[in-house]
Amino acid sequence: MRIVHYINQFFAGVGGEEAAGAPLEEKEGAVGPGRLLEQLMGGDAQVVSTLVCGDNHAVENQDAVVAAVVEKVRAAKADLFVAGPCFEAGRYGMISGAACVAVEAELGIPAMTGMHVENPGVDLYREGLYIVDSGKSAAEMKGVMGKIVAIAQKRLKGEPIGKPGEAGYLARGLILDAFVEKKAGHRLVDMLMAKVAGEPFETEMPVSSFQATPMPAAIKDISKSKVMIITDGGLVPRGNPDKIVGMAATTWGTYSIEGRDHLKGKDYEISHGGYDQRFVEQDPDRLVPLDALRELEREGAIGELHNEFISTSGLANPLSNTRRMGKEMVEKVRAEGVNAVILTST
Amino acid sequence: MVQITSALPIAKMIGSNRTVLGHGIVHVAGDPNLSPEEEKNLRRKLVKQAMAALESEEKE
Amino acid sequence: MELTIVRHQVTDIQFGGETRLEGDCLVINADDLCAHLLEDDRLVGADLEIVHPGEDTRAGSVFDIIEPRAKAPGGSPDFPGILGEVATAGQGTTHILEGAAVTVLNEMSAAERGGRQDRILEMSGPASEHSHYATLHHLILVSRTREELAPHVRMNAGRLASVKAAVYLARAGMGEEPASSETYGLVGPAVAGHEGLPRVAYVGQIYSRQRSPEVDEQIVYGVNTNGMMPLLLHPNEWLDGAIVPAYVLSLGGQETYFYQNHPVIIDLYRRHWARELNFVGTVATIAATDNDDRDRNCHASANFVKWGLGADAAVLTKFGGGVPHMDMAVTANILESKGVNTAVMVSDMSGDRRVESALLFNFPDVDAVVYCGGDDTKWTLPEAGRAIAGDAVTARTLAAVREVGAASVVGVTNQQGATHIQSVIY
Repeated sequence: MRIVHYINQFFAGVGGEEAAGAPLEEKEGAVGPGRLLEQLMGGDAQVVSTLVCGDNHAVENQDAVVAAVVEKVRAAKADLFVAGPCFEAGRYGMISGAACVAVEAELGIPAMTGMHVENPGVDLYREGLYIVDSGKSAAEMKGVMGKIVAIAQKRLKGEPIGKPGEAGYLARGLILDAFVEKKAGHRLVDMLMAKVAGEPFETEMPVSSFQATPMPAAIKDISKSKVMIITDGGLVPRGNPDKIVGMAATTWGTYSIEGRDHLKGKDYEISHGGYDQRFVEQDPDRLVPLDALRELEREGAIGELHNEFISTSGLANPLSNTRRMGKEMVEKVRAEGVNAVILTST
Repeated sequence: MVQITSALPIAKMIGSNRTVLGHGIVHVAGDPNLSPEEEKNLRRKLVKQAMAALESEEKE
Repeated sequence: MELTIVRHQVTDIQFGGETRLEGDCLVINADDLCAHLLEDDRLVGADLEIVHPGEDTRAGSVFDIIEPRAKAPGGSPDFPGILGEVATAGQGTTHILEGAAVTVLNEMSAAERGGRQDRILEMSGPASEHSHYATLHHLILVSRTREELAPHVRMNAGRLASVKAAVYLARAGMGEEPASSETYGLVGPAVAGHEGLPRVAYVGQIYSRQRSPEVDEQIVYGVNTNGMMPLLLHPNEWLDGAIVPAYVLSLGGQETYFYQNHPVIIDLYRRHWARELNFVGTVATIAATDNDDRDRNCHASANFVKWGLGADAAVLTKFGGGVPHMDMAVTANILESKGVNTAVMVSDMSGDRRVESALLFNFPDVDAVVYCGGDDTKWTLPEAGRAIAGDAVTARTLAAVREVGAASVVGVTNQQGATHIQSVIY
């Protein structure tokens, strides 16, 4: 059982922040917490090589460092790769996460790491990796390494890992069905009663927050701006030429409004399904407010209305689609020299 | 960007910075119960609110 | 408001002579039942079949499943507003045939009735293991209505026939020695004897206004929820025929059977009797399509819970998809801000089975969430030996081998909290 272990300059005993610029180095055998890792794995497990890198160097040269790590793990013929655990150290968490993902993808061997839930590496990598919940304090190294080892061994044997709470890893955010003993109605009342009594309870879906989107600066003078309409209400030209689907749409379309003062129901249809479409079918301006914007354009209240609108369907659309589509739309918006977008949503 | 929607709680949750309350999920920029003229006024007002939001540094 | 449920056990159903309960065998005179249903001249026929647990049988598409129940004289009417006169449900004695069900199939295809999800009843095989309905003896009913009638009229006739059949069967139990009985009553905001215990309320959505109901669709006390604002109901009203599901169910499943056997209400009653809590009452509400309506309904529901019922805590369930999910969360959030602890029951809205996509609300105080599942559970169902279809489109392929998701098998997923499938986060 050959293991390669990645650690930062601090855990390797090289130094603190002053050594954070140290480049990637390979040392034979286990170093620092790697000895604990080897011991806990037991049997014939050996940390054959330890990769040490300064945190600053790692994040500033992430692609190169990750590539080098992958090559060294390959050359070492490792069966298992462990990075960290990183606790609260953010740069350490970022590089460990990136390295683990690359090792798994390119070498097909299990990679393990550990971080505190607020380590920025968690949000980025939790879905693709088993990240053991290490808590903040490195004083807990033994327990944390123990959990890393336990999960690694299960993965190597192909055994089921179990739920995050039980096995000690941070929830990856993947959802799987299970038939459980208690029906949902009972679980609901159970949970409420625990909450009322001030007892700990395990919610079946955690509250979580989205990262704030930075607010773009205000437009100084909209009478000089080029404005464009985007909608997620699924309004498309009759016949749906781009075949945008109503649910979980993966595509969006751009449709000309050149020379038009308003939208006529007979020229359009709706591909959505999540709202009663009659009213927009009667008058699509109720979704894409072309008539009002044309009027304001004529009056000089806005500089110019771009001659196309963008449309897709927002119904039951996972973020994996909408994030990408949003980015693609931004490219189009920029390419057309548009300064401001009005997005209408159902 | 400014978002006109009736699903404000969702928009705010995912971080939409400039939002204007729409006039109903099924007719976000309209109202079939109004006369055509009243409806156009409503729509115009909504769009002007959107424009004001674009010109404002205030998160709404 | 005292409701006594008298249980008669049914372990077999047969067609036969006079309609009666013979021991625990329900004998049905099919002609007599048909004649009774055809008193409504909108019907031209009624197809009846009997199905037992373990049979290699599939039926579809399912309109509703109703437990045979009938009111003894002197109490509330049967299904007030639909069958009986409009009066408060939930009082007096209700005879039930436990172990039996009237399962009503749609006469019209999904396209004809603007419906979305077609669900099947599976009596054996891999899917059946997870559905309570596979353990029951069913009278399968398809009402045949006059084709020249407008679709909404035909559906109204079908709804009436469904409750008539359920009442007709249960009447066979009246006069027979019951197996057991239970009394539900003496709960409410001003009832004495449970002081010092947490005061708990239930807020249940009964419809989502994303879809406009038919003008004569009967959901609560025989009306379609147009213009409805939240309603204060005694728990017994839910259990005793005040509410039935809409014609079109969006996601998750609701059947009259699990209003009659409402898992949340019954659990709250049990804990009330065990003196764990003080069950103070319920609110029935709807999900809105418009921000103002949402705010009105959510605040009104919260106010009923806080000020009308004086509750310290509440559990909430929804009817439908994303918009109802949001309304329920907003209601819970308002309650939390008024110092009322809440727990909510959601279904999976992610689409891609990732938690990040599943969150339609982010209210830090709404932190107690039961997460129902069903989106990645599928079965390959074998060819059915016997297939009972209500409409011609379904009949063509019902018997065939098919891939179905959990949401398409009635009784596997349910937004009333009746089933065991959970979305687990890994």
